[in-house]
Amino acid sequence: MLSKPTRSGLGPGPIPACAGIGLRAVHFQDVLATRPMLGWLEVHPENYFGAGGKPLHYLEQIRALYPLSLHGVGLSMGSTDPLNSAHLDKLKELIRRFEPALISEHVSWGSVGGRYHNDLLPLPYTEEALDHMVQRVSQVQDYLGRQILIENVSSYLQYTVSAIPEWEFVAELAKRAGCGLLLDVNNIYVNACNHGFEAEIFLAAVPRDLVQEIHLAGFTVNNLGDGEILIDTHSRPVCTAVWALYRQAVQRFGATPTLIEWDADLPPLETLLDEARRADAILEERHDLVA
Amino acid sequence: MISLRDLQLGFSQDVFSGGGTGFDARIKANGLSGERRLQIYRNNTFASLTDALQKTYPVIYQLVGDGFFRYAAARYLGQYPSTSGDLHDFGGTFPAFLRTFEPAAELVYLADLADLEYACEQVFYAADHAPLDPLAMSEVPAARYGDLTFTLHPASRLLASAYPILHIWQVNQENYNGDPGVDLREGGVKLLVLRPHLEVEIQPLSAGEFALLHALADSRDFTTACEQALDAQPDFDVAAGFRRHVLQGTLISFAF
Repeated sequence: MLSKPTRSGLGPGPIPACAGIGLRAVHFQDVLATRPMLGWLEVHPENYFGAGGKPLHYLEQIRALYPLSLHGVGLSMGSTDPLNSAHLDKLKELIRRFEPALISEHVSWGSVGGRYHNDLLPLPYTEEALDHMVQRVSQVQDYLGRQILIENVSSYLQYTVSAIPEWEFVAELAKRAGCGLLLDVNNIYVNACNHGFEAEIFLAAVPRDLVQEIHLAGFTVNNLGDGEILIDTHSRPVCTAVWALYRQAVQRFGATPTLIEWDADLPPLETLLDEARRADAILEERHDLVA
Repeated sequence: MISLRDLQLGFSQDVFSGGGTGFDARIKANGLSGERRLQIYRNNTFASLTDALQKTYPVIYQLVGDGFFRYAAARYLGQYPSTSGDLHDFGGTFPAFLRTFEPAAELVYLADLADLEYACEQVFYAADHAPLDPLAMSEVPAARYGDLTFTLHPASRLLASAYPILHIWQVNQENYNGDPGVDLREGGVKLLVLRPHLEVEIQPLSAGEFALLHALADSRDFTTACEQALDAQPDFDVAAGFRRHVLQGTLISFAF
């Protein structure tokens, strides 16, 4: 039996099964001044890799009020370069200091030959890449001394060598590496449109017990003349089709901590809170069903 | 079958070289061509790294305009690729790049202005530190003052330019409402960028103050630092200048 999501909103601790938002620097002061009812907050650890100053100062205050999740974007998990030990050290220090309830990264790579793209690049879905990712996730978990979650990414191409469906690759990776899954429902929708598959197939292929977090975001549509493609820009509200897919995900995976991600063209905090309330309403439908 | 390593190297090479490497043959066409799909990743990589550079150098961006900045950033990325997943490590060589960037040669002050913006960026993220305890200073016998060496705040940088870069920086701030004109004949400046607590401050320094702090930052003892300050500015009030930098936290500790 699932318990009601904690709606008290304030106080550090484990991530409750309700909505949170991705916190960016422009909203630090608003959040601290208004202390909105929010289940939890998530930040990119790389933004706090500096030695001091405002970012760490505000994160300390935020951490005293809300459960926190660290969502990495720069580790280049799937790269065939050696893992960046300086990056891992900084991440480990941040974990020691802020004791986040969840830590996540991506099923992607972002650098090779020491050169970084500052992007989440898709892996080919092959046995070799799967073995490599299993080994890398295990290495990171061993180094950090705890489990991480890994997230499915948006992509705008498929490699000819890919032989495994993305959903099988992701599920198999989690099973073999012993990590959890951060299911990005928007990324599933974007990839379904870009590559032509049924988004429901992805959801159905993911074992129920692996999903510990869900991401929701908005995309933009790029019309390229000879076709259109969805780009995962995190610059828009969650679209109607993604809300519908999210409702299906909640039916399948149960009430799961859900994050509203918005990284570009940031709106006022209130817009993010509205999106979070919408996710909470869907989570509560599920609770009512169970009750 | 291509190895994961070779696939990543081929992808990265194609993105950074602007295409034409034949890597598109490894992409499923599926509606859009492999080339069009790779172009999206080229755009994303250059846009995100240019955006990171723009966040560190907003005044340079403002001065040269969007098109020129993008052009300079693309050339910069070709010469100085990002080598870390931590963007704090990216962009530090942009001032050096601008010094040799021919298309910007007429803007003689541009690289010095970039130095100032990078100093502000570094100071913003540098370690916190409490000011020097004046009581601890008072316990030092006066006869030993001359032998003391001092440590500057980790969130501090000294810089000098032959151009009025502070004035240029000021008129290019978002909330600036005054006369936007700057006469380069105003001459050079000596600056201290300091973050005593949370806010970054840019302070113009007199020649004596600058020489004093510069010598102390170079681990010169107090006597030598005072001599260099007076050489630079014979009428410099050493006692007052020193006191100011102890009180405002520019100097954080001392040793014999």
